[in-house]
Amino acid sequence: MAFNVLIVDDSSSMRAIIKKIVKISGFNVGQCWEAADGKDAMKVLLAEWVDLVLTDISMPNMNGLELLSTMKKDEILKSIPVVMISTEGSDKAVRESEELGASGYIKKPFVPEDIKRTLSAIMGEAEDGQRENDESFEGCDF
Amino acid sequence: MDREKMTRALKDATSNVMDRMFFQPVHFADSAHSLEEWFSHHRPLIGSTINFSGPLQGSLYLLMPAALATEITASFLGLEKDEISKEQEKDTLKEALNMVGGHMLSLVDKGGAFHLGLPELMEEMELSCDSGKEPKGETLFMQTENHRLAMGITISESKA
Repeated sequence: MAFNVLIVDDSSSMRAIIKKIVKISGFNVGQCWEAADGKDAMKVLLAEWVDLVLTDISMPNMNGLELLSTMKKDEILKSIPVVMISTEGSDKAVRESEELGASGYIKKPFVPEDIKRTLSAIMGEAEDGQRENDESFEGCDF
Repeated sequence: MDREKMTRALKDATSNVMDRMFFQPVHFADSAHSLEEWFSHHRPLIGSTINFSGPLQGSLYLLMPAALATEITASFLGLEKDEISKEQEKDTLKEALNMVGGHMLSLVDKGGAFHLGLPELMEEMELSCDSGKEPKGETLFMQTENHRLAMGITISESKA
């Protein structure tokens, strides 16, 4: 099963490098959308099927925490895992993200392994969930 | 809040970001220089700046020759130098300073008392480095294998 990923960052260079790391991470990545801020991200989320969001925090218009908070209030979007990738390295920023429901937190500067490890934990859980669902459907007639 | 601690953190953060994200280890110059002297044979320059606020408020700036901006952008994006656009260079320069600033603030304060603004490009006038226009505050003079760069911090006000 391919995962569709949305990368949100106001830096086009940062989006490009994250996209590259995601694509070579060994996971089956389908579409890889990009957005420059939370508002752009919401447009993509409302129009496309997204399985994972990787977002910066400090952005103009709508920041990453506002995006996360908006998603968690939406009945459909709230189940999408959101990983924060940010220069905000304080314990407060990490705690605030966790409290709002972020699935992971990667501090910039990062190395590709930081992203791969976080993706592995999240995608692994998603794949385990998918396997459990598949197993629970065994023997069922549709 | 200790200004010396901020400068030490800036040094560590700069070194870490240049090494980890851009694969360009930096060596700090021992003696103090002026920007005019440091960059006298390394023009044109490109620079970015970012403000911070909290227990101390001020700004950071990053200055480097355009040739180094091309080099770090190419290594960051995994592209050849001739594939890099000016926009990508400017964006990478802003993001580099953003990362250094965020990293520096997390080193001096885990509690999140500081707020980092959004990075901006420096205006041409600010890049002139004429004597008399030198920014106030601490400047770190550094060298990569092939180029020179400078990172500065100005602290305008202490709220503590």
